[in-house]
Amino acid sequence: MMCRIVCMVVALTVALIQMPAAVTAQNGPLRIEITEGVIEPLPVAIPDLVAETPGSAEMGQQLSRVIAADLVGTGLFRELPASAFISQITDFGAPVQYADWKAINAQALVTGAVTVSGNQVTVKFRLHDVFSGAELGDGLQFAGTTDGWRRIAHKVADVVYSRITGEGGYFDSRVVFVSESGPKAQRRKRLAVMDYDGANVQYLTGSEAIVLAPRFSATGDRVLYTSYETGFPRIYVLDVGSVQRRVLESQQGVMSFAPRFSPDGRTVVYSLSQGSNTDIYAMDIASGAARRLTSGPAIETAPSYSPDGAQIVFESDRSGTQQLYVMPSGGGEARRISFGEGRYGTPVWSPRGDLIAFTKQSKGRFHIGVMRTDGSEERLLTASFLDEGPTWSPNGRVIMFARETQGAAGRSTLYSVDITGRNLRPVRTPDGGSDPSWGPLQR
Amino acid sequence: MNTGQVISGIGHAGLIGWILFGGTFQSEPLPFEVTEVSVISTDAFEALLTNGPTPDAATNAALPVQPDVTPDPIETPVPDEVVEVQPPAPSPAPDPDPLPEPPLPEPEPEVADDAPVQPAPQEQAVLAPEIAPRPVPRAAERVAPEPVAPPTPEAAPADVQQDAVTPDAEADTPAPVEEQDATAPEEATTEIVTEAEEPSGAPTASLRPPARRPSAPAPPTETAAAPAPAPTADVDDAVRQALEGGGETDVPQGPPLSAGEKDALRVAVSSCWNVGSLSSAALLTTVVVAVDMTQDAKPVIASIRMLSSSGGSEQAARQAFEAARRAIIRCTRDGYGLPVEKYGQWKEIEMTFNPERMRIK
Repeated sequence: MMCRIVCMVVALTVALIQMPAAVTAQNGPLRIEITEGVIEPLPVAIPDLVAETPGSAEMGQQLSRVIAADLVGTGLFRELPASAFISQITDFGAPVQYADWKAINAQALVTGAVTVSGNQVTVKFRLHDVFSGAELGDGLQFAGTTDGWRRIAHKVADVVYSRITGEGGYFDSRVVFVSESGPKAQRRKRLAVMDYDGANVQYLTGSEAIVLAPRFSATGDRVLYTSYETGFPRIYVLDVGSVQRRVLESQQGVMSFAPRFSPDGRTVVYSLSQGSNTDIYAMDIASGAARRLTSGPAIETAPSYSPDGAQIVFESDRSGTQQLYVMPSGGGEARRISFGEGRYGTPVWSPRGDLIAFTKQSKGRFHIGVMRTDGSEERLLTASFLDEGPTWSPNGRVIMFARETQGAAGRSTLYSVDITGRNLRPVRTPDGGSDPSWGPLQR
Repeated sequence: MNTGQVISGIGHAGLIGWILFGGTFQSEPLPFEVTEVSVISTDAFEALLTNGPTPDAATNAALPVQPDVTPDPIETPVPDEVVEVQPPAPSPAPDPDPLPEPPLPEPEPEVADDAPVQPAPQEQAVLAPEIAPRPVPRAAERVAPEPVAPPTPEAAPADVQQDAVTPDAEADTPAPVEEQDATAPEEATTEIVTEAEEPSGAPTASLRPPARRPSAPAPPTETAAAPAPAPTADVDDAVRQALEGGGETDVPQGPPLSAGEKDALRVAVSSCWNVGSLSSAALLTTVVVAVDMTQDAKPVIASIRMLSSSGGSEQAARQAFEAARRAIIRCTRDGYGLPVEKYGQWKEIEMTFNPERMRIK
């Protein structure tokens, strides 16, 4: 009874103390909480870049088209057609009539000018926040050769994307992949590298031997891949600039495959098969010294470093089915992170370090999915007859993978998808493609 | 076995027993009447129908005897004298009414130029409550020989009555005595005043509603000598007033916004809050944004400011704030439609943009 009275007194005292605060709150500003929004592409206007020299008008049009394609291709932006423009940008230095752009509901405006002198091209641009009536950041200028005009456009788009979304861009990046041509029974495979959007495809190897699993280094200057040139799968290191290569592992009678660089580029982690056992090894590139990271009768392969290089995620069937495991980069006890139905494989750690992408086979269908590094919050982003080989964009927002259609005339094509599962779209390449590996942003 | 099954079993057993052994108790057949019938042919039957039913058996009852009555001749009344019938004489015509006198000329109404002034009512009508409050027993007043004024509001009756203590100057050895005040006597009056003697708060009379008066003639329109002042609805003025806090006395306060009005504002902002282009880091960031409003329910763009943020880095907070600012500005071409009579309630708004439910699941 006494305790109850004391509690009532305390409660009354607290209420009396808080009463003035409540009264004050009622006299203050109106407070509301917004918890529901909309998810829709941001309307953006990208007029043709102003030609500041004779003959650069066409270049200005091409640049604006690539910038618009980059932004619209993310699924986060919607380009307003030029026919809707009320005012035109004819002078890069003239003040912008924001009311005209606000009237057509443009939320962002990209204005720019291009100067072509010989084989040199210079592009300067500004990004405007229409509803604020101010520039979003400072104006920037890029210069390069006319051959590299697409890279200049990609860089402009990267800046626009970064300033609006707050994330790093990924447009000025390249992807190495296996180009596939010919019928399915006699398919020719060769290494190729391209811009992220499928343009500027360049072949790095011939089609004499089967090549597999190319992987960019963190700096984008080297590529690891597996070749059956000698009849056995072997790992090669290819210098992208000089297109020179060398065998990384020359031990006879063993099969090595599934290589991947460490974040610092000094170590390669790969699988080595001896007899019926497959384990994961790490090799110092400079010295060639290899170190065994896993040991056991199970098949353990497809290793991938975390961004900080401290951990490795890989696939193993040690539990009876193919699942994902994480272990320290120096080897040691591995913990299982995938527990769903089906088989998990080809894990890849996100550049942000927060997610792991994987291929999942379940109930006769293949999926590309992501999960937290502890295995939680698994989400499947795609589903088809055969989806496999995910790779992350430099900013960790987009995943590229290979999708193969069913049947004898089936064709493998590269696709990209946002980590939200939206904006699934094919990557246009001259031939088919598989095993993509997304490189870093170019400098 | 439940009660229902027991009852059912007993009932069925009884029924079967009655069927099997019920005849034992009524072994003799019930008495019944036997009637003899005769068989006749069809011809005989038709003959019976055509001749009518004739009772075969003779009855002893005597036939009724017709009475021997001779009817009397009918007498016709004969009038005593013949009366000549003449048409009725016409009734004399009534005297015509005298012609009415010509109407008197209508008196001209006396119209005063000034509207009559209704005398001020002596008493104001008071709305009496429809339901009288339940009478509450009143505490009896304390009666004392001398009236005592009520104590000050903060004073409270003391539990122990004490006497006033003053230092005794004539004492030989003046002991240190702490001075104290005497306990104030409780509030008291000299007589008891009952409730019946107190003036009641109920109205003693109510005024009749005033009759509708003829509207006073409109004063002649005067031509304004000076030009009308320019409208003050300029946005800049409103912005200045809002920022300087001026015109506080002109700001209608009104009651607080209703839940529906708040929801309408929330929905309007939500429909323009586009988080599709936000980074995942910005989607983890909650920002509180303040904005001043003009009286036509439009935001003062220059006043939009971030008060606080939580859950993300500075860059993520900046991106989240930019999205929130675009949301506030985008959907206000015609204003938010807030009630102007409550302007004082929404002239400054703090909006918390919480993207927790918009994150990637």
